[in-house]
Amino acid sequence: MGDPLLTSVAVVVGVVVVALVAIFLLWRMTWRVAEPNEALVISGLHQGAPNGVGESLGFKIVTGKGTMVLPGVQMVRRLSLDLRETDLQVDCVSQQGIPLKIRAVVIYKVGDDYASIANAARRFLDQQNQMDQRVHNVFAGHLRAIVGAMTVEEMIRDREKLTQLTREHAGTEMEKLGLIIDSLQVQEIDDPTGYIKNMARPHAVAIEREARIAQAGADREATQKEQEAEALKAQARRDSQIKQAGFQAEIDQATALARQAGPLSEATNRQKVVVEETKVAELEAQRAEQRLYVEVRKPADAKAYQEVTLARAERDATIAAAEARAREVELGAAAEAGKTKTIAAADAERVRLEATANSEQTRMVGLAEADATRAKGMAEGDAVRARGMAEAEAIKARADALAENQDAVIGQQLAERWPEIVEAAAKPFGGIDQLIVLNGAKGLSETLAQALSQGATGLDLARQLLSGKNGKRSNAGAHADTEPVAAADTQSSDR
Amino acid sequence: MDDQEVVGRVGLVTASIAPGRLGEVKVAIRGGSEAFHAYAMDPKEAIARGTRVFIVEYFPPRTIVVSLA
Repeated sequence: MGDPLLTSVAVVVGVVVVALVAIFLLWRMTWRVAEPNEALVISGLHQGAPNGVGESLGFKIVTGKGTMVLPGVQMVRRLSLDLRETDLQVDCVSQQGIPLKIRAVVIYKVGDDYASIANAARRFLDQQNQMDQRVHNVFAGHLRAIVGAMTVEEMIRDREKLTQLTREHAGTEMEKLGLIIDSLQVQEIDDPTGYIKNMARPHAVAIEREARIAQAGADREATQKEQEAEALKAQARRDSQIKQAGFQAEIDQATALARQAGPLSEATNRQKVVVEETKVAELEAQRAEQRLYVEVRKPADAKAYQEVTLARAERDATIAAAEARAREVELGAAAEAGKTKTIAAADAERVRLEATANSEQTRMVGLAEADATRAKGMAEGDAVRARGMAEAEAIKARADALAENQDAVIGQQLAERWPEIVEAAAKPFGGIDQLIVLNGAKGLSETLAQALSQGATGLDLARQLLSGKNGKRSNAGAHADTEPVAAADTQSSDR
Repeated sequence: MDDQEVVGRVGLVTASIAPGRLGEVKVAIRGGSEAFHAYAMDPKEAIARGTRVFIVEYFPPRTIVVSLA
């Protein structure tokens, strides 16, 4: 086997190594290190507080370094200093009274100073998991107050005010919990009334309007340019076509000229031929005329002259014979006429003489009859006039007599009609079957006398009417006493 | 100066301090920077954001009183 010394050295080294390992393990078990994001809260046996270690209520706070913890004597807990966040969803009302649903997130952590860590440790050390829930409950109320102090516009734009209000409302209270608010972020504002949308609408509409205006303007300009280009193209096309047409016309003209050149020269030649032919024909016509003149006209003239001369001689002979015959007839007729005239004159004379004798006789008879008739008419006229004058005299005499003695005439006329008057006056009595007269016989005679006196008063009345008509005022006193019965009289005289 | 000590340090206002209102001041401390709630020493004073302030007093856990540096 090996050297005993070597063996003992190896044992010692092995023991030392084991011991060192054991010591290291022991130390490792009791040493605790605080990581940068946590604080160690150590309670139990007190030691002197080294630098970087805070003390509070008998417990020790270690941050950022290691420390020895004696197992069984001391307790160590870790408090996370990490950032935490809590989602908030709160129904609240803005300053203007608009209902809003706010979704926000609050980011907070345990304060880094010993006071904050101590506060937080005492409150949350066993309930670090529930810290979010606690903060949520506290912060919901604060958020409602914060939103209630702001308008919607401020909430959207004014971060400064939001943080200010957050700090004032929640900051100090969170301090008590040992927490600090790093940030409050409003993530979503849901407004059922559409306030935000309406707030944005004027701007959106204005922008849309400008966009449309710009688009319309651009469209217009583009169209304008396009149309101008089209016009220019059309113009160029037109110019080109005009030129082409001009050239084509020249070509056509030249072609036509070329085509007509042949027929034209042909026609010209033909015209010359026709002219010459015409001259020939004229000459032939002249020749034919001359020949006709000589052959037909001259012999015809001679023959006509001969016939005319013969006819004239014959006519003269006929006229002379007729004249002789007429003379003979004339003379015969004159002799006959003279004889007839003489006989007629003798007859006429005889008739005239007879007529004269008749008329004289008739006139003498007429004169004698006229004288007789006139004498008879005059005698009758005298007789009529004498009778008329006599009648006129008689009428005049009667009129005079009437004028002078009216009463006499009227009286006469009344006398002539007296029986009728009395009958009329007695007519009332005629209609009476039985006449009872209260005054006896005397009463009856009185009644009759009264009826008769009515006739007498009728006479007076007639006279009065006549005198009124003639304008003579007479017998004024005579009818003064008859006045009361005048109406009755008139009645009776009318009958 | 103690690493934990806030008083006597200079901070930067990160949220303006209106008169009588609570603002925020960022202070370099503990090897990092922390934000504290801050009141102005003069209650009528208004301190704008970005102003350097001197920390006068510390009310644990997170409140300080500052004056214009």
